[in-house]
Amino acid sequence: MSLLICLFAQTAKSDNAWVTDDVSREAFAQIYTGVGKELSDLALQGRNIFRQSWVIPPALDIDSAGLGPLYNQLSCLGCHPKNGRGMPPETPDQMMRSMLVRLSLPGSNEHGGPRPHPVYGDQLNEQGIPDIPGEGRVRVSYQEIVRSLPDGETFHLRRPIYTFTDLQYGPLEPEILYSPRIGPPVFGLGLLEAVSDSAILQLAERGRQQGVNGRPNWVWDGEKQHKTIGRFGLKANVATLKQQIAGAFIGDMSITSSLHPTENCGLFQTVCQQAPSARQPELDDRQLKAILTYLRLLQVPAKRAADDSKVQRGERLFVSTGCAVCHTPSLQTGEFPELPALSQQTLHPYTDLLLHDMGGELADGRPDFDASASDWRTPPLWGIGLVKRINGHSTFLHDGRARNLMEAILWHGGEAQLARKVFERLTSADRQNIIHFLGSL
Amino acid sequence: MTFRCLFILIASLTACDAAAKQTLTVLTAYHEEVVAQFETTFERDHPDIDVKIIWRMPHDALPYMQQRNQGGVDVYWSASLHNYLQLKQEGAWQKMKLDRDGLPEMLGVMPLIDPDGFYCATEMAGYGFVVNPGYLKNHRLPEPKTWQDLIDTRYSGHIALPVPSRFGFAPLMIDSILQQYGWERGWALLSELAGNAQLLEHNRSFITDVVGSGELGIAPSLDFFANSARANGAPLQLLYPEPVAYSPAHIAVTASTRQPQAARQFVEFILSAKGQRLLFHPDIRKLPVRPAVYADKPEGQFDPFEAAVLHSPVYDPSTALPRLAVQNALFDLFLTERHDQLKPVWQRLHELETQNGRSDEMLAEVRHLLTAAPISLDLASDISVQQNFEKRIKDADADMQAKSLENTWRSDISRNYQRAEQLLAAWGH
Repeated sequence: MSLLICLFAQTAKSDNAWVTDDVSREAFAQIYTGVGKELSDLALQGRNIFRQSWVIPPALDIDSAGLGPLYNQLSCLGCHPKNGRGMPPETPDQMMRSMLVRLSLPGSNEHGGPRPHPVYGDQLNEQGIPDIPGEGRVRVSYQEIVRSLPDGETFHLRRPIYTFTDLQYGPLEPEILYSPRIGPPVFGLGLLEAVSDSAILQLAERGRQQGVNGRPNWVWDGEKQHKTIGRFGLKANVATLKQQIAGAFIGDMSITSSLHPTENCGLFQTVCQQAPSARQPELDDRQLKAILTYLRLLQVPAKRAADDSKVQRGERLFVSTGCAVCHTPSLQTGEFPELPALSQQTLHPYTDLLLHDMGGELADGRPDFDASASDWRTPPLWGIGLVKRINGHSTFLHDGRARNLMEAILWHGGEAQLARKVFERLTSADRQNIIHFLGSL
Repeated sequence: MTFRCLFILIASLTACDAAAKQTLTVLTAYHEEVVAQFETTFERDHPDIDVKIIWRMPHDALPYMQQRNQGGVDVYWSASLHNYLQLKQEGAWQKMKLDRDGLPEMLGVMPLIDPDGFYCATEMAGYGFVVNPGYLKNHRLPEPKTWQDLIDTRYSGHIALPVPSRFGFAPLMIDSILQQYGWERGWALLSELAGNAQLLEHNRSFITDVVGSGELGIAPSLDFFANSARANGAPLQLLYPEPVAYSPAHIAVTASTRQPQAARQFVEFILSAKGQRLLFHPDIRKLPVRPAVYADKPEGQFDPFEAAVLHSPVYDPSTALPRLAVQNALFDLFLTERHDQLKPVWQRLHELETQNGRSDEMLAEVRHLLTAAPISLDLASDISVQQNFEKRIKDADADMQAKSLENTWRSDISRNYQRAEQLLAAWGH
């Protein structure tokens, strides 16, 4: 905490309009306003939609009706609290509130994506509207393990163990594939969308030259009806932000849109299929555009404490250990006609938007288009130092198993194993300097 | 890659029987950020109970609760006194047998528990003035202490006044002025206040955005909007008038609940010191009804029980409820529809009134024409009039009656404003 106070005290004003110097608990919710009144107003409408709780149809409030019959959360904010990170349950008895579990069977669908379970679909919906039980529960418990570093310092890590209970539509097949996911932060997504495909391919090529096998995920773009580079989702399995939003609405809240016009009910879920719907689609194109605009216009937190010597040393070490090969500090957006203000911007996301093999310990065992069972897209690190202040926790990685940034690093394997080993061989003080640096992002 | 972890995951797939958990269904209109705090803390303390939230705005919650089996709801928890009263008449609640030690029955004239014990207050939100301290300083404006202060001409052009028919929290706030100052003086104050203000007619922007951005400096509002935004870093402050009016939220257990024990535990948790302290969370910032928890209040947090010692609340929301629909229509006819006309007339009148402190019969008449309440308190209290305005959305006859009355009021208001303009024009302005 003292580190954060120190960092806030040294905050410098940013001259990049897409970067906010706000370090308050609303830092992840700042809207870029240099786009004119019409788009700004649309973004404010989108903000309301992002924050609103959805209601079960039929309802008088038709604009917010459509929740369920099966769902995970009532609102976008439920999984992305304060536009930031969700967290896993603290005990096996607690419900998943800002986390969910993806499901599929081995093999792939007609477009090369995961093969959804015929009854449960591609995501376990733990909740149901009254008279329709949720599909089941996932309980999370942890096994403590100890990792000793070369200098003798030891760290306790926790390995998650998942148990499915209360399954309402029959047991899951032994070969079921599943992937737990924490709700990730939602700011800066417009900037990531505006990075060109060619820039992503160049990053892959540059990584290869440095001995890292990062690669894009070639995924199915349902709107354009062809394969393209995926960049959203924890496995980069979604092509565009619009598709990511519409996918979350149908998957997490069972709210239909023009991209997903049918309710999220599986085969044999007859009561679900017969439940009343709101208007169709329940999220109309005007609302979808508003929320798309809102998410595109969210600013990213500025880097802080640039003058702090520990942060400066940590940044140098971050590069020299090899972390920065995948967590690429700077990118440039290309031309982005859909929202020209996003064009030709320099950003500091600390991601290359590529898939990397993170090793068996982080593997979810569930392939997704070109992403293998152990591949994950490099997550952006911008804003990571503000998560505790804003979200009240410091759990990281796709399933929230890491209880702090040190644990998150120590879980890195696969292509990141070499960088992790270098990190482990640093002095304790230098390991902390890297943590200081991450805290300044 | 190693698949040791994967093996553990797959090995755990066999569905195991967990201890049976109860599901408690709570209907609320609280925002996700509020609900999440209570849900998580309650479930941590009661691992045998899952809380399922159904979310509805008050107008939509009423028909939902009137369904067969009350829509499966066990507990209703919301800021909507109207719904609690209406549903009480319909026999929708169980009597709550609670230990109310440490929970007062009243705050000023405002009851904190239903006299028959069917529902009780869980928190309050105070009506006050959201201000931007930097804006006030730059414009050399003093902090307003009462509603009366806001009609000072120094505040002209610096106030954002929410239109009650557009902002859900505003009707009771407007009524609190009418209760505090009386019907005639209250409408006169509202007219003059509107003359100083920009009316906010749409709900797209938060009030806190308008003031926090520095677009305007003052906006009457509910305290938690400002206090929460402030706790999250916005440059805002909430000033409470003397006395303060409050909007309470309540909780009740449905008559049809199948989980009476779990429902009682939830209510007890909400009213417990632990539950009440959660109201101080930066994302919530509402006022507990348990006075003892204010001993742990965050710095700068208002204590309504302490404030009531000096200025006892004179506002009872249950008095306001029957006339809100009439009142909203009156506000729109009297102030919203003709705001463009009203504002310059007030400005001209203020200019003339301040010229050498002159007092003139003509100016007094202009003031009377601008401030005369469109209808009397007696007419606004007439049950048939109230019902016509309440039912007009669903009942064509009621709507016709309401429109007929509105046309009469509109003509009177129009005549008054035109006469005021003529008098000022005759003066050479």
